[in-house]
Parts: sequence; C-alpha cells; structure tokens
Amino acid sequence: MITSPALSQAAAARQWFLAREDLGALVEAIRGTGRRVIGPTVREGAIVYDEIQTAADLPAGWRDVQSAGSYRLERASDERAFGYTVGPTSWKRFTFPPNLPIAKAHKATFGFEQPAPSVPPVAFLGVRACEIAALAIQDRVFLGGQFTDDDFRARRSAAFIVAVQCTTSSSTCFCTSMATGPEVRGGYDILLTEIDGGFVVQAGSPGGAAIVAKLPTRRPSHAEAGAAVDNVESVRTQMGEPLPMAGIGDRLKLQLDNLRWAQVAERCVECGNCTMSCPTCFCTSVIEQSDMDGKSSTTERQWDSCFDVAFAKVAGGDFRARPRDRYRQWLTHKFSTWWDQFGSSGCVGCGRCITWCPVRIDVREELAAIAPPIAPVEHPMAVEPVAASPGTYSIARLASVRPETEDTTTLSLTDLDPAFLEGRPGQFVMIALPAFPAVPISISRFRANAIDLTIRAVGQTSTALVNLHPGAKVGLRGPLGTFWPIQEAYGRHAVVVAGGVGLSPLHGLVDALVANHDRFESVSLFYGSRTPEDQLFRDDLAAWTASKAIDVVVTVDRAGPEWKGRVGVVTNLFDMISWDCTKVTAFVVGPERMMQASVQGLISKGVPTDRIHVSMERHMECGIGLCGHCQMAGRFVCEDGPVFRLNDLGDMFNREGI
Amino acid sequence: MATSGRTARPRVAVAKFASCDGCQLTILDLEDQLLEIVSRFDIVEFPEATSRRSPGPYDIVFVEGSISAPEHIDQIKELRKQARVLVTIGACATAGGIQALRNWADHDAYRAAIYAHPEWIESLATATPVSEHVKVDAELRGCPIDPGQLLELLTAVLVGRRPQIRDEAVCRECKRKGIVCLVVAGGQACMGPVTTSGCNALCPTYDRGCFGCFGPRAGANAKSWSAELLKSGRPPEEVWGLFAGFTGYAEPFRSVITELGKSKG
Repeated sequence: MITSPALSQAAAARQWFLAREDLGALVEAIRGTGRRVIGPTVREGAIVYDEIQTAADLPAGWRDVQSAGSYRLERASDERAFGYTVGPTSWKRFTFPPNLPIAKAHKATFGFEQPAPSVPPVAFLGVRACEIAALAIQDRVFLGGQFTDDDFRARRSAAFIVAVQCTTSSSTCFCTSMATGPEVRGGYDILLTEIDGGFVVQAGSPGGAAIVAKLPTRRPSHAEAGAAVDNVESVRTQMGEPLPMAGIGDRLKLQLDNLRWAQVAERCVECGNCTMSCPTCFCTSVIEQSDMDGKSSTTERQWDSCFDVAFAKVAGGDFRARPRDRYRQWLTHKFSTWWDQFGSSGCVGCGRCITWCPVRIDVREELAAIAPPIAPVEHPMAVEPVAASPGTYSIARLASVRPETEDTTTLSLTDLDPAFLEGRPGQFVMIALPAFPAVPISISRFRANAIDLTIRAVGQTSTALVNLHPGAKVGLRGPLGTFWPIQEAYGRHAVVVAGGVGLSPLHGLVDALVANHDRFESVSLFYGSRTPEDQLFRDDLAAWTASKAIDVVVTVDRAGPEWKGRVGVVTNLFDMISWDCTKVTAFVVGPERMMQASVQGLISKGVPTDRIHVSMERHMECGIGLCGHCQMAGRFVCEDGPVFRLNDLGDMFNREGI
Repeated sequence: MATSGRTARPRVAVAKFASCDGCQLTILDLEDQLLEIVSRFDIVEFPEATSRRSPGPYDIVFVEGSISAPEHIDQIKELRKQARVLVTIGACATAGGIQALRNWADHDAYRAAIYAHPEWIESLATATPVSEHVKVDAELRGCPIDPGQLLELLTAVLVGRRPQIRDEAVCRECKRKGIVCLVVAGGQACMGPVTTSGCNALCPTYDRGCFGCFGPRAGANAKSWSAELLKSGRPPEEVWGLFAGFTGYAEPFRSVITELGKSKG
C-alpha cells in the first residue's frame, strides 16, 4: 500500500532487487572505485560506524533496544543487515572530525599555514533519513554563510551516500515530529530498502546508477516493491503521533524564565554526551600544541560542548555561569534560535541525546514541560451563560448597595436568570446600563437568590453603577470565564492570597472553602491591603475568623496609630507557613506586581507551579473571545481565564508589556 | 625565565610526601623526551632518580604525596618558601589520595590494629592535599599523572604561556575517541561524567569505567550522578566506594561520601 506521496514518486522511479547474499557485491563495487566504505558494524556492545571491508562486517541479525539512558544489542529473529536504528556514532565524525589540525605555525619564519584538506574518497553506507537531514543541516552551517569550512566541504564532497530506509524505530526516535523521516526523500547516491530476502535498490545520482549497474540485480516483483513501501510506512505507525512541534521556536522564546530550566539542570551532569552524539552540534575549541623547542606549533580543533563550564567565559566572568543557563542555551539553540541563524531546526529527531544521556533526560519531555503547545485551556463550563452575545442582556434588579471602602461598593443583584446563581466562584459577568458600555465584574458572592458584585468606581460605567439605588435595573451577560478548581485542593493545604480589591473574586472561593473546610488539610487566607481603610468585606473577615474553619491573617502596607494588626507586604506572611509546601494549593489575586511577588514567594517555599492558580485582569469589551482586547500571548483572559493555572501562562505571567 | 646557577636552565626539584612514587616514575617514564627535558631543565633535586641533593631556591618544585605526618607540615612550608612555582602532581598531592580514606575512619584504632608498636608511628589523623597547607600554582591530576599533561606543562613553561590543560568531563574524551559509553551501552559504573579529563579516557578505552582518579571537574554535579547510580540499583556501599576511591576528599565528592555515610549510619 503506497500512502506517502514521496514514496509513490520513489516507487515510480526505477528500482532493482538485490538479494541479501549479494550485498557483498555492493561493498566490493564501491571499494572497486577506490573508496573506503564506512558503515555499521558491531563494536563494544553497539552498532557503530567504522571502516568495513566486506558485507560480513555489517551487523546482520542484530537489533538495538534503546530508551533514555540505555542501549542494548540483541540477536534479532531475522538476518536483516540494517534491522537497527541509529547508534552512538553520527556521520559528523567523518564530515567534521573530533580532532582536526587546522593550522601550523613556525617561529623562525613567523609563518602560519593551513593544512590543505586531504580527504580520500569515501562512501557512507547505511545513512538514515534523519542523518541525511543532519548532513543537510551541516551543509547550511558550514557552507551556507559568508565564511565556509574548507575541510568540511572537502569531506562532504568526497562522500558517496548509500542511504538505507528505516524499517524499525526505537523508543527514542522522533523523526516524524521533526519532519525528517522515516522515509528518505533525497540526498543519496544509492538507496536501499530492506525486505525479506534482500533489498529494493534505487539510484539517486549518475554515480549511484553506475554502481548499481555493476550489481547482480533484477527488477523487483510487485510484491517486493510493495513490501519496501510498507516496511517504511510501518515505522511511521510504530512511532505514533508526532509531537506538537508547530511554533516550537517561538514557544521556547516565551519560556526563557521558566522554572523548569533550573529543575532539569539539577539532574543534568553536563557531561556533554548529548552534544557530542548529536549529528548537528558543531561547537569546537582549539588547543595549541607546541614542540618543546618552541620552534613550531599546531593548532588543533576539537569537538567542544556548550555544556562546558568555561564555554562562555571571558576574562571578566562567565556569561552562562549556571548549569540552567547552559541547558537553556543548548535546548533553545537546537529548537529555536537555530531557525533564526540557519533557517531550520537544529534537531532531526534521531534521539541520540536521549539514549546517550547517562541521567536519562528526555528532550521530548523537557520541551513538553517547558514550552507546551498553546492550546485552548480545557475547562468544564460551570453553566451555560445567558445572553452571551454582546448585544443581548438579561435584566436583573438591584436589591441593595453596600459601601465597602471609600471607592468600592458591593451591589447585590436579584430577580436574576437562574444561570447566574449557578455560576462558580472566580467567574465574572459583563454588566451594562443603557448608554454605558459593558464592563467585566467578578461575582464576589453567591447568595440564595442574589449575586454580589463588588465594584471600584474608576470609570464611567462603574461610577454609574455604584450610584444606582435599590430597585434599579441592570443588564447582565454571563456567568463567564473559568472558575477556581476547588476540588484540586481536596486533601491539601488550601492557601488564598489576596491583595486589595483582589479579595473580591476570591470571596466566593473563601465561602466555599469555609463551608467545606473538613475536606482540606487546612484553609488559610492571607490578605494584604494598602491601609486598614482599604480592606474589603470587614464583616466577612470577622465572621470567617470566628468560624475557626479558616486561618485569616491580614496585613496592611501602612497604618495609623489605632491599627493594632500586622504591617508589611502580604508576602511577609508566608514566613508563617510551616506545612509541607508541596501539599499546598494556592489561589492568588491582586494587583499584578503583588501577584508576581506572591507567586515567587510561594514557589520559593516549594509550592508546585501547577498548584498555583491566579486570576488575571485585562481590558475586556466582549467577554467571550471576540473583541481581542484581553489577549495575553496565546490566551484570551476572558475565555481561557480569568482563572489560570500558573503553568498555563508560563513566562507570560511575569512579562512586562504583554 | 629567572634562573640561577651556571646554566640558563630553570632549576627544578621533585619532592614527595605520603605517596607511592608512581607520579615521579611517570617523569622518568618520559624516556623519549628525557634528554630534551634535562637539556632544558636543571633537575637539581629528585630523590627517586638521584642521590645528589641540592638546596633551594628552585624555579619549579613538583610535589607528590599528601600531608600525612606531623613533620610534613613544616617541610611543605619550607618547600613553598624555596619554590618560585609550586606544582602538585597526582591524586595524593592534589586531593589527599587513597590514604585520605582514613579521614572518615578512626585513625587511632587502625594504627593500633596494624602496627605492633603504634606509639612509634607518628601520623596525622587526616591525609590532606598540599593546597590545604600552602598556595599551589598549578596541579597535575591523576593516579598517576598523565605524561602528556606533564610534557605540556613543561613545554608551556619554556614557551611562556599557560599550560593547555582542559577541565571537562572524561565523557568528552570518550566521545572524541569514539568509545561507546560504558554506562549507557554496558550498564557499568563510571565516574566519567563528574571526573576531569586529562587521561584521554584511559580506563574506558580498556572497557573499564572511570575510577575518578583525576578528581572532580569544575562544576561536577556529583549530587545528581550519585543519585543516578543509586537509582540504577547500585548499593550505597558501591557508590560510596566509587566516589571515595582516589579523590574522595575533594569537593564535591567529599559531600557525596559524607551524605552516603550518614545514610549508612
């Protein structure tokens, strides 16, 4: 069955069949043209690339079993010569040698000379799709710019490529995610696809065709040609769903401050095995080797690694002094900044960095954790909102008006559509009056037949609202947005952190925590406001305290002499936390700076980032993801929020100007 | 190069404290270069090679061995005064060596168990690297040191530049040489990821995990590596032995050993 367009083209090209016992003829034919043949062979418990003399040196009947930090060879149930995936060697060893003399200097003549590349013709036998992609990346790195690498050019043009289709994959393979395989799409002189009994052979260049002409081949049967295609397609199936790599470059750039960098750096031993085994990593350093008489010296270029502690050092200091800086440098270069420099990813999905990492760091897991795809936040709807469309309103009646502070007032609304009463703490409504545009207001409290909205009179609509008298009518749309995931705190320490009017969207949450306090390990509220006069809900704070179901701790930034309570920012209160913070679920609302400081404080106490929930404030006109005002990078605050799990915001949470 | 005496050659002394003399032998093993070395350096003090003695001052003093006996402390301080450049050579001088294992043991009990007249044995309760007692200008690591690094140091002195001695994981040397990773493919215990290079991956070349004899490299994440070794099923005693072996008294290996010792009780 032919499913891939690239393969259907290949199938239409001329194909031959070479019996397995005649594979030696291919090696001989190539060697007959004066080329050394570098190919796969078993050494030191692995399939490495090294010079081979005959087909007997190939790893017939061996398969590799790979996972993060582990590589084992096993006898296979068949005699396939290429029944493995990729091993510890990459072809860069032969195009870009690990040690290369690049200059000689002579003191007497003050002469510097660059050795001319001397590269005998060679053939690479067994080059896989991901490896052809890697060679193409090296071409761009070394030959694509203003300055080029002569030695690489010589080695690259001296190489005759015998590609081999993968007919199996390892658990570490992810070429389909990087769009480099599994099928070979070009860049070869000869292409082999292994099937029962032998190989389907194609030529990709006149040189390749000349070699194929010397082989004892015949035309493949229809079944043989079909098997060749099926074998490659089965690899795609084996690898499963590709990883979501769309936009990975930009996604990573938005995560430069992600806390995961520090976490992975704690595991990373900076051995550099990932960079050394990577087929595209190209960093080097030079060392001088002088003769003892001081008359001449050689400059040798060596493979180096950005994980080296001295890699970014200058006399005055180190630009990437911390392990997290170096890990971030490597991962962001591979998947993000490589695009900016060379027009492609630096990763081909071969999986070597995963297999050969002795502490089993899997780059796929790190990418998923650090820069997850920007997908809509999955959240169950609390209740179908009413009058959702921006031109329609559900009418409610103002039952009471209660001043909270000098500029903040709580309105109780009744005669509501029942949907509003079924909303959840954290949700908001759009509220409007004729001639006054709608504004988003959090529901601060759910009562039996009413909801409370606590409004700071700062704009035209909010000022008009707080000046209404009981009995007045208002237009409502909602309830809208995400809500506090209270159940996630069951069995844990529920910690509510509020700053100023930020207590308003948390009020309903605190009510629910108090009502269900026996479901939690503990329940606490840390509330900070500028002055004692700025405190909201003073009666409720007293009632919560009296209930003994919650520890209420309040603080003010500044106070007059009559204030007997705490003075200082709310984050100071975290010093009182004595529990195991990995068991804390936190809910945080306040001015953005206060939230950032609170979140940093909680994280440094050990609260996991996926256990911190915040509610964001942004300009909203529609409340339903259509007007564009409330966008925060890949999110609409009205629709994907306002309540977010911190992880879902990533760096955006701390960024200025987003 | 400041020199003294009749020739223009730097005056070199080789001294030893508690050690096996293996590093000094590495100097003598540079057979192909020895004539060249003595034509450029005036080796005036080298008990392992000659009974001829010559007092200081010296341009370069190579020091082998750890500070293990009371008289060593005064001797190393005196040597320091006599040395323009003091270079420690080998695991004993740079990290305390195997004998530093006694730093975790009951020194008096061992002395009593081994010697018929322990009161005749004058030794310190700890074996410590030279750098704990005097300023050290350069180190050559390893048990024994690498002849190539020694030559590079001597050459650098003659040329007048810093020796090009890299401080990177042994893994880098394995990868450049094309050695298949003994940990990943062989399931062997290996100190390569946390040990500094310089041996050209000598042990892994012969299918043996790195012993860590060159000691911790700069920034070695010994905590993660010891955790990984334990996680892969190695008993704490074995991991203790891996880190303690040759250079265990050097941080951060020392912290790993102390932690493992605590968990062992």
